[in-house]
Amino acid sequence: MSIEAINEQLLRAIGVGVALLDRGSLNFHFHNDTFEEWFGAQVGVNPLPAVFEGLDVAALNSGLNDGGRYTAEISHKKKRRNMVIAVEFTAASEGEQQLVVLVCQNITRIRELESMIDSYSMMVERNTREIKREKEQVEKLLLNIMPRSVYEEFKAFGVVTPQLYDPISVLMLDFVGFTDMVASTDPSVTVTELNDIYSAFDRIGEQFGCERIKTIGDAYITVAGLPDPMPDHSKAVANTAIRFIRYLERRNKSHPHQWHCRIGLASGAVVGSVVGIQKYVYDIFGPAVNLATRLQEFSEPMQISVQDEVAKNLREDFEIDRLGERDIRGFPAQEVWRLHDSKKITPPPKT
Amino acid sequence: MAYQTLFEKYGGFSKVSKMVLSFYDTLLDSDEIGPFFDDIDMSKMVDHQTKFVASLLGGPASYSDKQLYQLHNHLDIRDAHFDELKDVLKDTLSDHGVEPADVETVLQEFEQRRSFIVGQPHVD
Repeated sequence: MSIEAINEQLLRAIGVGVALLDRGSLNFHFHNDTFEEWFGAQVGVNPLPAVFEGLDVAALNSGLNDGGRYTAEISHKKKRRNMVIAVEFTAASEGEQQLVVLVCQNITRIRELESMIDSYSMMVERNTREIKREKEQVEKLLLNIMPRSVYEEFKAFGVVTPQLYDPISVLMLDFVGFTDMVASTDPSVTVTELNDIYSAFDRIGEQFGCERIKTIGDAYITVAGLPDPMPDHSKAVANTAIRFIRYLERRNKSHPHQWHCRIGLASGAVVGSVVGIQKYVYDIFGPAVNLATRLQEFSEPMQISVQDEVAKNLREDFEIDRLGERDIRGFPAQEVWRLHDSKKITPPPKT
Repeated sequence: MAYQTLFEKYGGFSKVSKMVLSFYDTLLDSDEIGPFFDDIDMSKMVDHQTKFVASLLGGPASYSDKQLYQLHNHLDIRDAHFDELKDVLKDTLSDHGVEPADVETVLQEFEQRRSFIVGQPHVD
């Protein structure tokens, strides 16, 4: 076989579509087998524009005139498959004859793959967004049961080191006759109202820098000075306590169910930590918590009992009455004070 | 987290993409089902097949039954078409090294959706 014959064989069999066109008429002089396979047997009969629908002939001519080259991408439907073909025209001449060499690459697969990657990345991105949203919700949930700094530690190390906070102030609130209320009215109504009230308490406490630690049934515990130290922690819980009662009084005027609470305030040291492994809760432990609970029991409905230590810090800004020395279960006998609402209270800080 | 989807088991997107392409090729060449795709834009078609295979294998896509119904109810799809596609799916998965038990699982998943894809019973 001669070199020419081999060349022609190669040209015919190569996986690239090759054709030779007349420069003026754009009629086909030659096309190889691949070209025919893609564009059909009729291909040699018609001039190029009839074969390549959508080809910009003006652009082709100006491209060939300017630099002797023109490239484009054409789409061609073969059976029901949309082929995407990258075409390259190069001006050539053979003696007097002006020719154009046309080389076609089948880039359908590349386009199909691109489409698939687009499709897949869109799915993945959507999933990523959903996961992110879920993660945010989990985070929000965890932030409801522990302070942010504790949560950050929990996230980074998987555990929380118990930490001593000293001094802080604890506000313990308990509702009067809650058990009877649950028994006598529709429990779901009671719980819905309790939820409203707790939500309001959370907002009030937040204004004064208090962090709600937990609720146990009808008992609500919030603290000031945790996790970040606060110089005025006693005043913060006192202000919060007074506004809890104001809120309930106002609420009672417009609601059929009357809610009355007792409040106890105490200062001291507590240890804060996450307790539990599967069902973890953030909790605080220390005498201040127990004392606030005991003091709350000394309160008449809608009144606030205050530990001696706290009272010392409140004297300047709040109206307090001495109740006298009392025996407190689990604690040495000590002075107990009553905190009153008065006009002297500093307005809540702007948030 | 211990649960592994077939999508993960068979190598994630890099492997599944090959299944999708060969599935796509077979469908286009099929004279039974191919005509349904005659006027469908290529990227749409690839998108559809990618999601289809991914959702069957438990990948990051899922079609609700209602979506499936809405996507197919304007087409005259009959049981024979569904069966043919099921065969193509079976061959494609087997050709790409999916274990027979897993192929069976996928086909069962597919079969469960027949009523949302095939139109009203037809008398030929």
